[in-house]
Amino acid sequence: MAMTAHSVGTAVPKPSYGLAALVGVGVLALYVLTLAPTTAMWDASEYITAAYTLGIAHPPGNPLFVLLGRVASLVPAGSVALRINALAAVCSAASAALWYLVAERVLAAWSSPRWTRMLASVIAAVLGATAFTVWNQSVVNEKVYTVSLAFFAVVSWLTVRWCDEPDGRPADRLLVLIAYLIGLGYTNHPAGLLVGPAVAVAILVRKPATLLRWKLVLAGVVALGVGLTPFALEPIRAAWHPVMNEGEPTGCTQHIGVACTFSKTTAVRLMANINRDQYGKPDLSLRQAPFDAQMGMWWLYFKWQWLRDARGTQPGMQTVFGLVFLVLGILGGVTHWRLERASFWFFGPLVITVTFALVYYMNFKYGASQSPELRDVAREVRDRDYFYLWSFSTWSVWAALGLATLWRTMATRMTGTAPRWLATSPVLLIGVIPLAGNWRDASRAGETATREWAHDLLNSVEPYGILVTMGDNDTFPLWYAQEVEGVRKDVTVAVTSLLNTDWYPRGLQHRAVAAYAAAKGPAAYRDLPALRPARPLFSLTDAELDAIPEYIDVRDPQVFQAGTLRAIVDPRQLDVGVPTRGDLMVLRLIKDNLGVRPIYLARTSGGYVQALGLAPYAVMQGLAFRINATPVVSSMDVLPSTGGVHVDVKRTRALWNGFGAPAAMIRRGDWVDRPSVGIPFVYITTALMLADAVMAQGDTAKAGRLRRTAIEVAEAARLLDLLLPEAAARQPTTPASDVPRSRVIPLKPR
Amino acid sequence: MRVRHVVPVRIAQVLCASAAAALLFGYTDLVLGGTTVAPLLLVAGYVVLVPAVILTWR
Repeated sequence: MAMTAHSVGTAVPKPSYGLAALVGVGVLALYVLTLAPTTAMWDASEYITAAYTLGIAHPPGNPLFVLLGRVASLVPAGSVALRINALAAVCSAASAALWYLVAERVLAAWSSPRWTRMLASVIAAVLGATAFTVWNQSVVNEKVYTVSLAFFAVVSWLTVRWCDEPDGRPADRLLVLIAYLIGLGYTNHPAGLLVGPAVAVAILVRKPATLLRWKLVLAGVVALGVGLTPFALEPIRAAWHPVMNEGEPTGCTQHIGVACTFSKTTAVRLMANINRDQYGKPDLSLRQAPFDAQMGMWWLYFKWQWLRDARGTQPGMQTVFGLVFLVLGILGGVTHWRLERASFWFFGPLVITVTFALVYYMNFKYGASQSPELRDVAREVRDRDYFYLWSFSTWSVWAALGLATLWRTMATRMTGTAPRWLATSPVLLIGVIPLAGNWRDASRAGETATREWAHDLLNSVEPYGILVTMGDNDTFPLWYAQEVEGVRKDVTVAVTSLLNTDWYPRGLQHRAVAAYAAAKGPAAYRDLPALRPARPLFSLTDAELDAIPEYIDVRDPQVFQAGTLRAIVDPRQLDVGVPTRGDLMVLRLIKDNLGVRPIYLARTSGGYVQALGLAPYAVMQGLAFRINATPVVSSMDVLPSTGGVHVDVKRTRALWNGFGAPAAMIRRGDWVDRPSVGIPFVYITTALMLADAVMAQGDTAKAGRLRRTAIEVAEAARLLDLLLPEAAARQPTTPASDVPRSRVIPLKPR
Repeated sequence: MRVRHVVPVRIAQVLCASAAAALLFGYTDLVLGGTTVAPLLLVAGYVVLVPAVILTWR
C-alpha cells in the first residue's frame, strides 16, 4: 500500500466541514471548562480594558482586536472579562477546526478507510489545541495571539484550497481574500504578516504566472489596503481621549476635528504606534543572545508544549516527550511532502517562518526560565513562549501527520490480509498526551487572584489618593478594576514606566478625578474626610510637562524638598543610575500634591522608596507605602520595620480583613507564572508582619491565624523555602514591565 | 469556501452595498464618539461582509 507521491491533479475529496465544526465545538467545550472567570496577570487586564473602553492598547494598538473585544464585551452573558476570555477560546477553537481540514486534505491521498483519515485529522486538531501555550493563551485573553492564530488557520485553509485549483475566477477570489485577510490580520497584530512569505512561495511554486496578471495583483494590493484600514480607529478614538490612550496617536488636543486629525502630528504619532517605536528594538545585527541560545529558548518552550511540568518534577519525561513530538513533526513534514506536494510548499515555509525566522527576528535575550545556571546573562522579564504559539500550533499538525504515518506503518505491517487499523489505533493515544499532561498548568479555571489583588491594592489607598506603581502587574489589573468594574475610580494610578513618555503625563493631567463611593470603600475610611480634588495632578502646563527632560545627568545624592519633607535622592539606587523623566515626574507629583491628596507608592515598587530617600516619611498601609509630609513617629499602632519604613498596624490589620487575594490564592492552590510571584510574596510578608505585631500586643490566636494564612499562601505560590531566614537574598523582586515602555529611558551611564 | 455556483447579480450588489454602508456608518458613529454601534457595524463589515463581497465579486 504505497503512498501517492504527488496528489496534484488528482480529484479533491469534499472536506468534512460537519466533522470539522464538531471538532471545533469539542475544543471550545474544553476551553470553556478551563476558562479564566476574570482577568489575569500581565497584559490580560490591559487588553480587556482597552476592548471594553474602545481605547488604544500599547503599540501597535491592535485596533482589530479592540473592535472584536468590544463586540465580545457586549454579549449579555457572564462578566466582561469572561466574555473577552471567551473570544480567545472561540478563535482557538475555530483554528482547531481549520487544522482538522488541513490535515484531512493532506491525508486525502491515503488509500485507507475514510474514518482513519478523519481520526488522524481529529488528532491534529486536538494536539494543536492542547499544546501548552495554545491552550493556556486560549483560556484567558492575555494577548491578541489567538485572534492571530485564527487568521493563520483561515489563510492556511484558503491557500490549501487555492493550491488544489489555482485556475479560474474562484481561485482568483481566494487569492484576493487571502490578501485582504493578511492586511486585516496585521491590524490585529504584526504577526498577521508572517503567513505572507509562505503564501508567496506557494504561488511561485504552484502557478508563478499568477504574479504576472496585473489586474489580479492590483486587486490583491487593493484588498490588502482595505484590510489595513482598521488602523483608522486609532486616531479617531485617540482624539476622544479615552482612559487608555497609549501613544496618543492624534494631534487633537481638545476635541476631534478634521484639521487636527489629518495633521502631521497625527501621522507621526500613528506611524510611531504602528511601528512600535516606543520599544526601540535593537538592530537585528546586534544579537541580544547567541542564536543557538535563542533556539535553545524555543526548544525549552517546545518541550513545555507536550508536558508543561511547571513544578519541574518530571524533567526527563518532558525531554522524552519533546523529542518524540520533534521526531513526529519531522516525520509529518516528510509525509506532507510525499502525500500532498502542492500544499507542502505553503505549509513547509510557514513552519520555517514561524520557527527559525521568528526566532531570528524576535532576537530575544535569554528566557526567564532558560539555563538558570547562567548568572550574568541578560534575560527577558518573563517567559516568551506565547510568541511561538503559531510555531507550536503548526508543528502540532505535522506531529499529528507523523503520528498518522506511524499508525499506518504499524497497521500495514501487522500480520494478516488487511491493515489492522483498530488493533493498532492505541498508538494514537500519543496524541492526547498534552491533553492529560497540560490540564493542570494550562487551565485557568477558578483563577481570581489577580482581580482580588487589584481590589486589595486600590483599597489600600485612602480616598482620592495617588498611587505610584512600577510595571505591568501592579498597574494593568488596577486599570481593569477601575474602568471595567468601576472599583475605586477616585484613585489616580501613575505608573513610573509610562511617566517616561510624553503622552501619559498629559493624559493624567487632563483626567478628571471620579467621586469616591464611600459605601463601597473599606470601612477603615468611613470616618476620614474625603475632599474631591478640583485641581489638576501637576501644577504645570502641558508645555512645561513636555519640557521635563528624558533624564538629568546627576549621579550624586541630591536634596529633594517638598514643604516640610526633605529627602536625599540617591541616583545610584535608581534603575538606570540617573533620575529619568519618570522619576522626575514622581518627585513633581509629590511636590504638587503632598498635604493635598494622599500619596502612596505600591509595595511592589521594591526599593524605590529608599532610592528616593522617602523611607523616613513612609508608612506601610496594607499593600502600599503612604508618604507623609513629616517623618513618621513610632507609636502603639505604628511600628518600625525593615528598610527604614514604618508599619501602620491598625490600618493594615483593618485592610487585611477585607483582602480577597489570599483566600483566592489558597483556593486555587498554585501560582504558575513565576515572574509575577512577587505578588503573593507581598501578601506573605504582610501576614507575617501583622502576626509579629499582634503577637507583641498579646493576641496569640490572631497571630497564629495570620501565620497559617502566610504559610498557606506560600504553599500555594511554591514560596515556602523563602520563609526561611537564610532565604532573604532570594526574595522575589518587583514585577517588571513586560517590555521597556519607553525609548527615552537612557542607558546606564558609563 | 469556493463559490461553485454563480451568485445572482442582485445578491452580489446587496452584499457590496451592505459592506460599504456598514463601514461608512460604522466610522461615522465612531467619529461621533460612539462605542457600541460603531464596533458592531465595523466588525460586521470587516469580518463578514467584505469577505463575502470578495467571494461573490463578479
